[in-house]
Amino acid sequence: MSVYAMVKDASPTVAVKAALTKLLSQNLVDAVLVAAKSPYSALPMPTLFAEASAMDGIDPLAPAAPFNAARQAATVSRQATGKRLALVLRPCEIRALIELVKLNQCTLENVVLIGIDCLGRMENEVFLRHASALGDVTSEFQKNTSLQDDITRTCQMCEQFEPAHADIAMSTLGMAENSVLFASGSETGEALLKELGLSPAENPAQRETVTKQLREKRAACKKEVFAETSEKINSIEKFEKMIGTCLNCYNCRQACPVCYCRECVFLTDVFAARPETLLRRAQKRGSVKLPTDTTMFHLTRLSHIAHSCVGCGQCSSVCPSNIPVADIFTTVAAQVQAAYDYVPGRDVQEPIPYLIFAEKQKSGEPK
Amino acid sequence: MVKSMSDDYQPKIIALVCNWCTYTAADLAGTSRLCYPSNIRMIRMMCTGMIDPKYILKAFLDGADGVFIGGCHPGDCHYINGNLKFKKRMAGIEAIISQFGFEEDRLRLRWIGASEGPEFQHNMTDFIQTIQNMGPSPAKGLMVL
Repeated sequence: MSVYAMVKDASPTVAVKAALTKLLSQNLVDAVLVAAKSPYSALPMPTLFAEASAMDGIDPLAPAAPFNAARQAATVSRQATGKRLALVLRPCEIRALIELVKLNQCTLENVVLIGIDCLGRMENEVFLRHASALGDVTSEFQKNTSLQDDITRTCQMCEQFEPAHADIAMSTLGMAENSVLFASGSETGEALLKELGLSPAENPAQRETVTKQLREKRAACKKEVFAETSEKINSIEKFEKMIGTCLNCYNCRQACPVCYCRECVFLTDVFAARPETLLRRAQKRGSVKLPTDTTMFHLTRLSHIAHSCVGCGQCSSVCPSNIPVADIFTTVAAQVQAAYDYVPGRDVQEPIPYLIFAEKQKSGEPK
Repeated sequence: MVKSMSDDYQPKIIALVCNWCTYTAADLAGTSRLCYPSNIRMIRMMCTGMIDPKYILKAFLDGADGVFIGGCHPGDCHYINGNLKFKKRMAGIEAIISQFGFEEDRLRLRWIGASEGPEFQHNMTDFIQTIQNMGPSPAKGLMVL
C-alpha cells in the first residue's frame, strides 16, 4: 500500500534535501548515504552523513555519478551495525545493491532504501563543463530537455529509470515544476513518510504518460544499440577490432558494481603468459600483440557477471581507450538474462541463476 | 565462419572430463581397446561443477575447434550435484559464445558414467565428426590469446 505525498519547494533538490535532513534531525535514521558536492569538486560523491547540519551540499538529483554507488552502499552495509541507515541511490544503483545482497556482500537489515527518478547521468567532463557554465546544473537539468539529451549513451537506452524496490521513492517525472512525489514501497517507508508528517496526495495522472513516453524513447534507442552492437561483435575477429586498443587497465572491472571478487583471477598468474610461451607464439604466428589476454578478460568478465549486469554504463565511462564496453555488456547480458529468465535487481528473494538447479533431472543426454 | 572440408583438416578438441565418471570411462575404453580419433586432448577435472566458464573460453580463444564436457549422470555426482550446477552454467556460456560467432554446437555436454566405455568411444567419434563437418573455429589463427 503506497502512501503518496506531494511536496513543492524552491526546487526538487530543496524538497528532497528537506526530507532527508528531517530523517536525520528527527532521529528516524542514524545516518544517510547520499551523493553530495564536496568542497573540492562539483561532481557529487557518495557521502555518509550523521549530522543534519552537514547536509547542505547534498545533490542526489544531479545528472552525474562518477561511479555506481552500490559498491559504496555495500561498504557501509556490509554487516548490520545495529544503526539504521538510509541509502539514497539511483535505480541502477539499487539494482546493483540487490545483486550484491544476493552475493552476500552486504545486508539490507536496518537499511532504508530511498530511490530517485533518474533522468540519466552525464559523463563527468560534460557535467563539469555545464557546471562551470550554469552553476546549478541539477535544477536546470530537471526542466531543460536539451540538457537531458546530454546524458550518457547507456542512460539513453535505460528503461528502468523509476526506483523499484525502494522503501521510499522520490519522483520528479510528470510532476508539476519543482514538485517531488514521495511514495512508499514498503511498510518501513510508509511509517517513515507518516513520521515525516507528509500529507497524502494522489499519484498525478500525467506521470504515467510521461514515463511511458520516456520508456518508449529509451526502448527504441536500446533496440538500435543492441542491433548495432550485435552486428559489430558477431565474429571474434570483429570483436577484436572493437577492443583492439584495450590496454588491460581493468578500469571497467573496478567500476563495475557487481564485479565483486576481492581477488580477481586476472590479478593472479592463472592467465599470465610465460615469456617462453609468448616467444613460441611469436615464432609460430610471426608476431604476438600485447597484452595478450584482453579478449579473454572481457569474455571472462562477461561469463562471470552478465547475468547480474544492471546496465549502469560505468564501464564505458571509465574506459581510457573509449571502447563501448557497456554496449557489449548490455547486449550480451540481455541474451544471458533471457536464457535464465532472470532480471538483476528484480527481487532480492530471487536467487542468482547459477545458484539454483533442478535436483531431480531425467537421466540421459543433457540437451 | 570459414568452412574447410579438406581431408587434411584435423580438428583440435579439448575435453574437460570428470575424474569420477567420464575419465574412468575413457580408461575403460582404453583397456577395452576401443578406438577413437586422436583429436581429443583430455583434461581431467575433479567435477564438472568446478568448470569455470573461463576454461572453456580459454580453450576456444587458444584455437580449440570444439570443447567437450563429460560429467556424471544426474544423481551419480561424487559431490552430490556438481554436474547439475554445471548444466545450469551451460545456458549462460552458450548465450555468450554464440554472440561472438561461435556456433553452439562447438560446445557439448554429455553425461557418461564410469562403466560406459563404449559410450565414451561413441561420443568422441560423433563429436569429432560434428566438428570436422563444421570446419575450423572462427578464432583459429587469430592472435586473440
